[in-house]
Amino acid sequence: MQLHINTYGTYLHVKDEMFEIRVPESEGSKVYKKHHFAAKKVKSILMAKAAALSTDAVFLALKFNVDIIFVEFDGKPAGRVWHSKLGSTTKIRKCQLEASLNKQAVKWVKEWIVQKIENQVEFLKDLKKHRESKKDYLDEKIEKINKQAISIAKLEAESIAQIAETIRGIEGTAGRYYFSTLSKLLAKEYQFEGRSSRPALDPFNAFLNYAYGMLYGKVEKSLIIAGIDPYLGFMHRDDYNQLSMVYDFIEPYRIHVDRTVFKLFSAKKVNQTHTDKIKNGYTLNEMGKKLLVENFNNYFEEETHRYRGRNQTRANALQMDAHTFANTLINKNQINNDNVGTV
Amino acid sequence: MITWVLYDIKNDKARTKAAKLCKQAGLYRVQYSVFLGTVDSHEKDTLSLQLEEQIDESQDKVYIFTMSKNELKNASLLGQAFDKKMVTDEIRALFF
Repeated sequence: MQLHINTYGTYLHVKDEMFEIRVPESEGSKVYKKHHFAAKKVKSILMAKAAALSTDAVFLALKFNVDIIFVEFDGKPAGRVWHSKLGSTTKIRKCQLEASLNKQAVKWVKEWIVQKIENQVEFLKDLKKHRESKKDYLDEKIEKINKQAISIAKLEAESIAQIAETIRGIEGTAGRYYFSTLSKLLAKEYQFEGRSSRPALDPFNAFLNYAYGMLYGKVEKSLIIAGIDPYLGFMHRDDYNQLSMVYDFIEPYRIHVDRTVFKLFSAKKVNQTHTDKIKNGYTLNEMGKKLLVENFNNYFEEETHRYRGRNQTRANALQMDAHTFANTLINKNQINNDNVGTV
Repeated sequence: MITWVLYDIKNDKARTKAAKLCKQAGLYRVQYSVFLGTVDSHEKDTLSLQLEEQIDESQDKVYIFTMSKNELKNASLLGQAFDKKMVTDEIRALFF
């Protein structure tokens, strides 16, 4: 299970080889409530600011492969404690670097982004089924978004740098159509004006940002486990210290967030108690985080769907895709070397 | 699999140790000397061996039962009941 620590003054340490979470009964109180968790039952620990952590807890986490993630108020992971061993062979990283500079990167980036846009189209088609009156409107938007996917699929280049700007432009256009369409389908009081972050200008974006933040963390972990370097991106390349590969690889999985968040709003599960108004925007409060995390975890890690001939969770599918990506990188390289050998 | 551990252990030290072992294995305390939770068969065997080391076979008793999810669903719990979702590992996230 995941342990989310958000309360000011909470202390996470170890007691009898188990995690102990000590929470003050009220803010500033010296009276504590203690909770114990067997290390093997904990999968990850997400900690916000103003909590304390003992090195013993870090050691226990390392021993049991528990992921400790430090998250910002908007759900974005700021850092993590994970053992420093590579998930797999260094060869994968070498191949990843090689691929980032040649045509392979073009193929992968196109695939990820086209997949993302196709997921968006698929989602709008699903929404159309129960919205007879909006059918024409949706059909028009779906066609427009579809066109963007086709233009990306058609792009050809020797390296990703040649078409990166073009891809960003087309992707942005698709995104704008998509989010404005989602907004139109919501009740008046929930509608929003495009994407916004830091701060989110409306509750819908506050929910989206927090959930994407959680997803970044999950994608990063899957990549590390598969032996991929999360900092070495194909499309997002030149930014210093950015988790570029995470931003590349996440694209096809964003839909899981979109579907979860949209459902919460369209089912009117969200109200004013879930967000707080901050300067210039909105942020998710404890109630909102709880609602979102529970629903997202359920959708992502509990419910199963048919994927590559198996019933599995979406989290599992993500990990499988990361391994496939790593294996393809190595094999591609193998084939190239073999060719060199025969010449 | 859903596993129950029930014990009567006379020696205080051994009893405390037994409780600790059950918790470390990932079981939850549902009564003073009753633990319940989900473990795999390998973990169950390990726990059983560990408990065996603690007890005095001439006077103590430890019972380990397993149960299917359906059987647990049909169980009636009166009074201060434990959380069925907690012991079946269906709770994915906890907030503090």
